[in-house]
Amino acid sequence: MVAFRNTDSSGRTGLLLRCVLFALLALGLIIVDKRYDHLQRIRRVLSVAAYPVQVAVASPFEGWAWFRESVTTRDALRIHNSELEQELRLAQFRLQRYEALEAEIQRLHALRDNTTGVAARFIIGNMMDVDLDAFRERALMNKGARDGVFVGQAVLDAGGVFGQVARVSQLTSEIILISDASHAIPVQINRNGLRTVALGTGNVGRLKLPYLPTSADVRTGDLLVTSGLGGGFPSGYPVGTIAKVKREPAQSLADIDVKPAAALDRSRELMFVWPSPEPEPSTFTLPVKAPNGAAPK
Amino acid sequence: MMREVRIRRLPMALSALVALALSIVPLPALLQPFRPDFLVLVVFYWSIEVPQAGGLSLAFFAGVALDVIKGVVLGQHALALTLTAAWATHLRLRLRVFSVLSQSLTIFALLTGYQFILFWVDGATGNPVTNFARWLAPIIGALIWPLMVGILRRLHDRQ
Repeated sequence: MVAFRNTDSSGRTGLLLRCVLFALLALGLIIVDKRYDHLQRIRRVLSVAAYPVQVAVASPFEGWAWFRESVTTRDALRIHNSELEQELRLAQFRLQRYEALEAEIQRLHALRDNTTGVAARFIIGNMMDVDLDAFRERALMNKGARDGVFVGQAVLDAGGVFGQVARVSQLTSEIILISDASHAIPVQINRNGLRTVALGTGNVGRLKLPYLPTSADVRTGDLLVTSGLGGGFPSGYPVGTIAKVKREPAQSLADIDVKPAAALDRSRELMFVWPSPEPEPSTFTLPVKAPNGAAPK
Repeated sequence: MMREVRIRRLPMALSALVALALSIVPLPALLQPFRPDFLVLVVFYWSIEVPQAGGLSLAFFAGVALDVIKGVVLGQHALALTLTAAWATHLRLRLRVFSVLSQSLTIFALLTGYQFILFWVDGATGNPVTNFARWLAPIIGALIWPLMVGILRRLHDRQ
């Protein structure tokens, strides 16, 4: 089928030599990237070079979405508008209660002399239309170091905790979803305060709680919230609800499935959250290492 | 070396860039495991067709680009692509006399080797992906190889 133009077989040894050279270079990169932090800056620069490609890929899809949005009929807009108004009324109604509750919580915290950070500052980022890796739950966001995003930062959507920042470049950042198989998040059952760790499964619709004994007080429908332990995530945000509890008498640990509260497969607008600064310096703080091996910058 | 003295690098760079974009174009989640490694096929083509034009450097830098854009350990794709591109260059004289079917089978073997190196580096750096679906990409890649050769040959011959 093919008539190759070039039959020069010069440099069989040259080929081997170059192959070994490049392979060693690549191996060196892998080891240095895995063991040390020096490549962070190089990667950041390279990511800026990759940005045009990512934008070129994402823009037709975004353009189409924009086009579809701009040709929606007046009727559709009116219906949408009335829906939004209704939602707003409901939200305002809830907010009144929320403010009262927040005040109460502040009082209680003051009583306990222990103020956990409630998120004070946030920015909203958009997911870019780019597929990263088919087998890992990652997403690329259009906010980066320029906007103050940092590694380990919590990312939320309207429903609850979405994930955290795994890698930051100048203009973009990569987030790891809470459903990624290598992600773990410290949680607490809202009903009774029981603390544990929720692990991702690699499946967008499911997390698991593998570390609770069969005797633990867990029921289907219980709400899980972040416990704030470890410092990675602000406390008190919903993570999911218990979907299934399986207790095998022969096993010492229960098999518990959790349905994530965030719309992990649908949300595109996400909030990057900054924990509020501690009002009073605590006596001793441990250096917090970002989870999933991503070293803090 | 007699017929073609000047080596044109523009089609090479252009096709590599397009393939890089294709490797991150959003697909429905259901189709994602079936995405062939476009950039790998392009690198194979150039290292078989014009090995003296620096196919291995192309392989290495294309690999680094994949690492950066996919956000994995730096050097992973570079290592896999360098080794398999060298293998493809080594086999190029034999590939020339092969039928379409044998060519596709050889490409399948190369792509499987590529996927295996990725798999190994994933495991060695502590993020094993033990999903069976990752072995689908070599099959799809081998199936579309004749098509890729047709397109790239046209691009290559145009000047």
